[in-house]
Amino acid sequence: MKRSVLIVILSCVLILLPMYTFAGGAQEKVKITGPVTIQFWHAMGGARIQLIQGIVDSFMKENPNIKVKVQYTGSYNDTLNKTKAAAKAGNPPHVFQLYDVGTLGMVYSGIIVPIDDLSKWESINWDDFFSPVRNYYTISGKHYSMPFNSSTPLLYYNKNFFTKAGLNPEKPPKTFKDVIEYSKKLKASDLGLKAPITWNLHSWYFEQFHCIMDAPFVNNDNGRSGKLPTKALFNQEPGQKILEWWTGMEKDGLFLDVGPGWANHRAAFGSGEVAMVMSSTSDVNQLTKLLGEKNWKMGTGYVPRPEGAKGGVTIGGGSLWITKDHPKQELLAAFKLVKYISGDESQIKWHKGTGYFPVRKTAMEKLQKEGWFEENPNFLTAFKQLQETPYTVNTAGALIGTFPEVRSYIQTAIQKVYSGEMTVKQALDEAAAKADESFKEWNELVK
Amino acid sequence: MESYFKNKWLPYLLLLPTFIILIVFLFYPAFETFRLSFYKVHPFGIKKIFAGLYNFKKLFRSSDYIYSFKISFIFSIFVVIGGLFISLLIALLLNQDLKGQRIYRSFLIWPYALSPAISGAIFRFLFNPANGYLNYFFKAIFGFEPAWLTNGSLALVIITIAATWKNLGYNIIFYLAGLQNVQKEALDAAAIDGAGPVKRFVFITFPLLSPTTFFLLIMNLIYSYFSSFGLIDVLTEGGPANATNILIYQLYRDFFINSKTGYAAAESLVLFSLVVLLTLVQFKTTGRKVHYQ
Repeated sequence: MKRSVLIVILSCVLILLPMYTFAGGAQEKVKITGPVTIQFWHAMGGARIQLIQGIVDSFMKENPNIKVKVQYTGSYNDTLNKTKAAAKAGNPPHVFQLYDVGTLGMVYSGIIVPIDDLSKWESINWDDFFSPVRNYYTISGKHYSMPFNSSTPLLYYNKNFFTKAGLNPEKPPKTFKDVIEYSKKLKASDLGLKAPITWNLHSWYFEQFHCIMDAPFVNNDNGRSGKLPTKALFNQEPGQKILEWWTGMEKDGLFLDVGPGWANHRAAFGSGEVAMVMSSTSDVNQLTKLLGEKNWKMGTGYVPRPEGAKGGVTIGGGSLWITKDHPKQELLAAFKLVKYISGDESQIKWHKGTGYFPVRKTAMEKLQKEGWFEENPNFLTAFKQLQETPYTVNTAGALIGTFPEVRSYIQTAIQKVYSGEMTVKQALDEAAAKADESFKEWNELVK
Repeated sequence: MESYFKNKWLPYLLLLPTFIILIVFLFYPAFETFRLSFYKVHPFGIKKIFAGLYNFKKLFRSSDYIYSFKISFIFSIFVVIGGLFISLLIALLLNQDLKGQRIYRSFLIWPYALSPAISGAIFRFLFNPANGYLNYFFKAIFGFEPAWLTNGSLALVIITIAATWKNLGYNIIFYLAGLQNVQKEALDAAAIDGAGPVKRFVFITFPLLSPTTFFLLIMNLIYSYFSSFGLIDVLTEGGPANATNILIYQLYRDFFINSKTGYAAAESLVLFSLVVLLTLVQFKTTGRKVHYQ
């Protein structure tokens, strides 16, 4: 008798206790009572330093209790390394910006707090966000970081050169085949091009072509199934098809190898050494200006695709992360900051100043109403391209813990094909084997 | 021996600041590097797995690392030998009585004052594949444009030239100082005995310069292994296809980009031992032939 009473009481406690804690969690209220100071590190150099400061200044005006110390900390990679060092010293910035490919690494870093864990204090409407943007930063159904600066690749071309070569300046090439045909025509003309087309040596394009072909880059649903990726798939048929086309054009003198970095390909396009270039959508302003200096008109088109490819581009760029181990008020202040930066007003300012997409649909609608796209049709190409991307785990983009390392293997593979040292398949197999090894080691460490 | 200080502890107290700095910035990191080379380390350092010699085994099994070894070796031989040869030649020319000699000297020493990133940028202007200045002239004169930085062998040549040029000023300063210490009497006596300029250089000047040469040999060796990172980062990022991926660049990649702390620690130990070994070899061989006045 006594025993059964005990069991009943215990089960009641067991059932009610979690409910109580859950309810308590949901009702937990945090308010910023006194002045709070937070740190914000970002990786946007040049004119963008002022732009970000401007956005943060208006945030502070709206939230007089919060003081934000903004600091430009070098490239994404530098920012990551500085954050790492600061975290080890017990003093990480509250908010920092990181590149897309650092996402999975941060999830397992042990230094961050997922955005979703903070939105219990103050809500955020995720439906406002563009779904490709939102999908990229959602891991197993959870939002980890706040999308901030999003971009995709875009094809840029010189309209004057197209006309001179007898091509329709309003019709950019759409498929892999088109690109080769157009390039041959441009090469045959007397424009004095070094080669008809170029883009910088970067694995990013190789990844994007996988999204366009709706092909997985790594296993376990592109690293999105909740299980960590264990095997690279980029050496399979789609990857080979992409590289055969890419390096084939280089062999035929249709593609100019400008090496790594983000300066040479822009310079080649700006000085008329090439007629077409692929680069980030965040280059729209810069490239329009470069061509304008020579009185050339610039056109834009979608990233070319193999015939019949069903996918679309995925977003690149960066997002904002919040580090844990701060007092609740500071965490709330950090959350308010990233929410503000992803808000319509900030995103419109940011888009106009840089060319990065606004991450919210609502911001986009406001821009449309303003008539911004009639004045800047090249931005519209970039938007439409992203909007037309259907959602699959493949088009959401791969999640890899050792992405920077994998990228360097892929870039080396491409160069080995350029130099004739290896065939496409050999080079990709070698890169994939190295990638698999890096997965194995990384997975062991984060488990 | 009589102590200058009355208090036995005072000298140690005076040395303390130096030791604190050495311990914090040199000995402790060196010890940590040694320790971490035996671990697999989580990118954010929150977990360590003892791995014994795993990192070292992996290093020497990696074909990329062996290749990097070879490249570094070729690179350093050319940078050290080529650099010393050219700078001795220039120093000899500068040591003559010329009009405007000071101006020439300043110009030739200048490159040393530039940071590696700046000198990298200069070479990039000259050689970049999109619109390098040199390509423009090459096309005008020879009708073709070499792929300076996107062809593996050419890229290594360019990096070697850039690294050599960058360190010329340093070598020239030391050689000039050395040359000014060569006794004029000895040279005059040899001239009276009928020795020509070549003989005077081979039998008098060069032997008297041997301490300088030996010092520069070691400094240049260290330079070629440790200080060329900036140039490579700006010019080729270790490419194309690892053609310019010398040991120090691979180390940078593994620590700062790939976040493999343990592996990078092992690499840094290997690199350190290699340079110590090469320096010792030089002391044992070249060092014996050095003639101190």
